[in-house]
Amino acid sequence: MSDPRIAVVAKRLSGIRRVLAFSSAKGGVGKTMCTVISALALARGGRHVGVLDLDMQGASAHLFLGVTPRLPEEKQGILPLPVVDRVTLMSVAAFTGERGLPLRGAEISDAILELLAVTIWGPAELLLIDMPPGMGEEILDLSRLVPRLEALVVSTPAVVSVTVVERLLSVLKELRVPVPAVVANMVQADSRPVRDLARRAGVARVVEVPQDPLLESAVGAPDALAASAAGRSLAKGMLELGYL
Amino acid sequence: MHEWALADAVVEAALAALGKRDPACLRGVTVLIGELQAIDREIFSFALETIVSEKPFPASIFHLETEKAVFRCEACTTEWRLEDSQTVTEEQREAIHFLPESARAFIRCPACGSPDFRLQRGRGVSIQSLEIDGKEGCA
Repeated sequence: MSDPRIAVVAKRLSGIRRVLAFSSAKGGVGKTMCTVISALALARGGRHVGVLDLDMQGASAHLFLGVTPRLPEEKQGILPLPVVDRVTLMSVAAFTGERGLPLRGAEISDAILELLAVTIWGPAELLLIDMPPGMGEEILDLSRLVPRLEALVVSTPAVVSVTVVERLLSVLKELRVPVPAVVANMVQADSRPVRDLARRAGVARVVEVPQDPLLESAVGAPDALAASAAGRSLAKGMLELGYL
Repeated sequence: MHEWALADAVVEAALAALGKRDPACLRGVTVLIGELQAIDREIFSFALETIVSEKPFPASIFHLETEKAVFRCEACTTEWRLEDSQTVTEEQREAIHFLPESARAFIRCPACGSPDFRLQRGRGVSIQSLEIDGKEGCA
């Protein structure tokens, strides 16, 4: 028995120029915030962006973007939910809302493959993927299934974050997933631990995002997120990385 | 209708399996349709016929079979079928249709109420078998 969905993933993503997975081995470092703010920044710069929330058990991109979960429309596949002009979102929350979704590893792989096989991204030229913490099914499956996959690795300068994230960078290297930059997120004074991490891992760029106490109040408001200090930093980062 | 995306996947998988062989080498494709995803067979068949009309093999090589969904509770070992999950609403069925794993948010063991269960079989669309002619030039 074979899985026909694998044969169609590349075709579904054929209109997308670059696929960027916002990853971290550590939870709570701001992956989702960086994903959605980067998407909003890219859209402001004229890019059509799809956001794919692959955090099946902790989906939250829709909360940051102020999107009320609802079943997607069908058009020879399923259409991602509109967010703002030039940004769309596909998330498990479209199907299960705010209910808990207890999944085992093989079920996560099945759900990832289903979403990749049936989502029609339309005009999106860039796909930003909000990854769950860790280095499990999500990154293993994506590295095998998704052409042109790149990972933007997110860490705070905290020693625990840097230590755990270094393990992910090592695995990404083995998986041959290019890492164009490490994001030093929630920087208060000193981003050196993340810069040192990038140097050790051979990653050429660090995108520095300052700690912003006002960011919490922007959750659910795309315009406020895009206009935040983090929005400006990530827009600059996206420009430097050639996404804008 | 998202049946189209799945029918497209089946045809692409058949093409990939055929490789560089003569299209006539592909004798039959048996597609298993899991009950849980509630695929509309009529739409799926129509989508297959339409997509295949531009491909080098006839729609008649595709055979559809349905597989009943069976769940097994990890907590109390009860096995049950989809029709025993009476509390699932129409909207939830639609969510499961789009993403079968959504069932884990809506279905509970009818015996003990546990959310810890496995789908034993009958998830969604898969290719059960693909028959390629054994004659010379097809191997």
